Amino acid sequence: MTFLPLRVRATRSGDMLCVNDTGSFFATTTRLLDRLGDNQLTPSDLAFLKAEGHAIDPQDRLGDVAYLYNLAERATFAEQLDYLILVPTLRCNLSCSYCQVSRAGLNQPGFDWDDATLTAVLEMLDTLPSPRIKIEFQGGEPTLRPDLIRAVIERCERFEERQFVICTNLQRVDDEILALFERPDLYISTSLDGDALTHQRNRTATDSNTDLFLHNLKAVIDRYGPHKISALPTIDPTAPPDIDTLIDSYAGLGFDSIFLRPINFQGFARKRHSASREQDAAWRAYHERFVRRIIERNWRDRSTVLEETYTSICLRRIFQPGAERHVDLRNPNPLGIDYVVIDHDGTVYPTDEARMLSRSGVIDLSIGDVISGWQSEQRDLLNAHASNFDDPACQRCTYQPYCGRDLVDDISRYGRIDMPRLETEFCRRHLHLFDFLFELIYDNDPATRYSLSRWLRLDSNPERLGARYT
Amino acid sequence: MIQLSLPALAQAERAFVTRLRLDRDQLEAGDSLLFESDATSATFAGPHGLLSIEGVLPSDLDGDVVLMQPDIQRIERLLRAGSPHNTLLITERCDQLCVMCSQPPKKTHVDRFDLLEQACLLAEPGIVIGISGGEPTLYKEQLFGMIERVLEARDDLEFHILSNAQHFGQGDVERLRDPSFRRVTWGVPLYASDAVLHDEIVGKQGAFARLEESLAWLMLSGARVELRTVLVSPNLDALPALARYVTRRLRFIDAWSIMQLENIGFARNRWDNLYVDHSRSFAPVAEALTTATLHGVPARLFNFPRCTVPEPFRHLAAASISDWKRKYVEACGTCAERDACTGFFEWHPEEAVEGVHPL
Repeated sequence: MTFLPLRVRATRSGDMLCVNDTGSFFATTTRLLDRLGDNQLTPSDLAFLKAEGHAIDPQDRLGDVAYLYNLAERATFAEQLDYLILVPTLRCNLSCSYCQVSRAGLNQPGFDWDDATLTAVLEMLDTLPSPRIKIEFQGGEPTLRPDLIRAVIERCERFEERQFVICTNLQRVDDEILALFERPDLYISTSLDGDALTHQRNRTATDSNTDLFLHNLKAVIDRYGPHKISALPTIDPTAPPDIDTLIDSYAGLGFDSIFLRPINFQGFARKRHSASREQDAAWRAYHERFVRRIIERNWRDRSTVLEETYTSICLRRIFQPGAERHVDLRNPNPLGIDYVVIDHDGTVYPTDEARMLSRSGVIDLSIGDVISGWQSEQRDLLNAHASNFDDPACQRCTYQPYCGRDLVDDISRYGRIDMPRLETEFCRRHLHLFDFLFELIYDNDPATRYSLSRWLRLDSNPERLGARYT
Repeated sequence: MIQLSLPALAQAERAFVTRLRLDRDQLEAGDSLLFESDATSATFAGPHGLLSIEGVLPSDLDGDVVLMQPDIQRIERLLRAGSPHNTLLITERCDQLCVMCSQPPKKTHVDRFDLLEQACLLAEPGIVIGISGGEPTLYKEQLFGMIERVLEARDDLEFHILSNAQHFGQGDVERLRDPSFRRVTWGVPLYASDAVLHDEIVGKQGAFARLEESLAWLMLSGARVELRTVLVSPNLDALPALARYVTRRLRFIDAWSIMQLENIGFARNRWDNLYVDHSRSFAPVAEALTTATLHGVPARLFNFPRCTVPEPFRHLAAASISDWKRKYVEACGTCAERDACTGFFEWHPEEAVEGVHPL
């Protein structure tokens, strides 16, 4: 009999949570752990551990292969480039307090793709082997250059599956932009910081800009329904908005997914919001209250199911390996392989955060450019450190199979990648989130189970979500 | 019901395969062209001489790949043009004796591999060809050879092979790893996670252990597997445990099909002991489906009429019954979901449609 290593963590409710390398988990008491340590397992202990894949008989070839398969399923498989973040212009018609990317002024020359860059982008699209493509147009404000967006989209006709996302502040929605929005394969992403007052304070600055934004937002929702459009709030963790007001401003527009996102410690935010380097207990408590409030509201009003996007992603990662392709939380986290960012000057970055850090002059994290390519030493160097498998703290962590690795985040906050993992914001944030999630998973309250079952896309409300052995 | 076998006369003395055509412009090597027809028969002319088929309109046969057997004076419509449900029978022998078997095995085997291979090569572009039995892998060497040659010659075709997976071994792994086998799906039955119960249902001691071994080799081969569980009274309450087993040990499968019973073969005489009225006892099925979905294993319901499945699970009920043996009952006349619904087997007993209602 081979016992697979179990990582154990006490839950908030006093259970012992046991997780193996494949992410298979159960809750138990210290009594089972004592029997395991003392080599005093009962036949029923053994039967349970075998059935759940925590112990394998020498003759059990299927158990052996299944373990390897389940382990492999937890690792990111990235091979083909099929996701691009394109920045056709860095110019913007707004100036938000925490602008992520050191924007350029509306009429500043030299911050748009030139002809050579556009040609190189289009030619690169022709060489991609994948039958699928996803392209996100970022900025700056990409709607300032609809001609570039069109040129890219037209070049993608040959792909079997296409998805385009325009990340826009919705200040400009004229006929030319609407013609783009009409495409069924195109989605709109915008920022909505809560009620009009908050949004104006953080972003739109003037009444007329705010009115324009809200008018355009309502117009596109009326025209296309809420599922073509997604919105993200950026939240100042030192002064977070009232929870119900924030939820109402989203639910009122028909949005059911709210990505509660504290100010990113990037770009101008590093200076103007220096407290955003670390989120404190108050922020985490706010996040928990927010999720619990959503659970209550979902239970009370069954007509819609609200979710906090990232909480829901992490929950699905626990149960459904491979179901999510969220590039901010994966392990390994391959950089410059399956997605890249192409900046306004043709420079290629592994992630959008890497672009911001480089723009802010903190460190140059570019890995190449769209003309000469990005199969570079810089990229290989990053990828040599882009997994949590070999980190001594992660190796012992119960949540390692569900978690990820974010080099760029570490560099951004600490200027180095070798901080003891437990002292990083990334680790603290995810430890907290997974602790919270396992508390919810083992919560017998029907309202909690109802929301979790919806976030897990289940067709019913199972009596329990997590296995328990006593 | 669509007739798969028709009386016919041919000039040739030995069995042959040909594709029937009405239009001279579509004619290719090996095809037979419509020569004349009247109200009761259609006569085709081709490389094997004249072939006269009775009891069908020629337009219904256009593009069909048929096997003519002069000794019994019948044609078998092996691959019907435009149908997504074409299955080739490799053998009627089997080494399991499942309690509900829809096609009870025979002791004798007639080797038709050469003819079936010819038929595959004449298949319409881009179809999935079903392979069934009996147990096809009793003739594993010939089966693999046929599959490999057809996939090599026709990169547009796929196979779906029903197999009890009692015969895969380490020696098959390298061969099955060939990329062409990505176009092959193995439909493998598993009835319970309890070895004794599974062995009882398939009528063979040690079957569960041998199946687990085969599944390990299939997993190592990167094979595509569709797991199939026919619902019968003995395994109804064991479904939730089976779901748990599948989500722990068989995560590699492409899909898990939970299938309602077909009232034919052995099941006909054992109907009262085997048939589960799922509209009254859906709870174990629901629990199994939810466990599978929770852990990211795609599960679906085959042969479950949509109106008999609780609404939240209805989207999992596939239109699975083959066109040639599918019927709808009176209550289906005004149903809005009829096109997405599997309907009933032609031989489904009338008394078991109680409660069927239009959606």
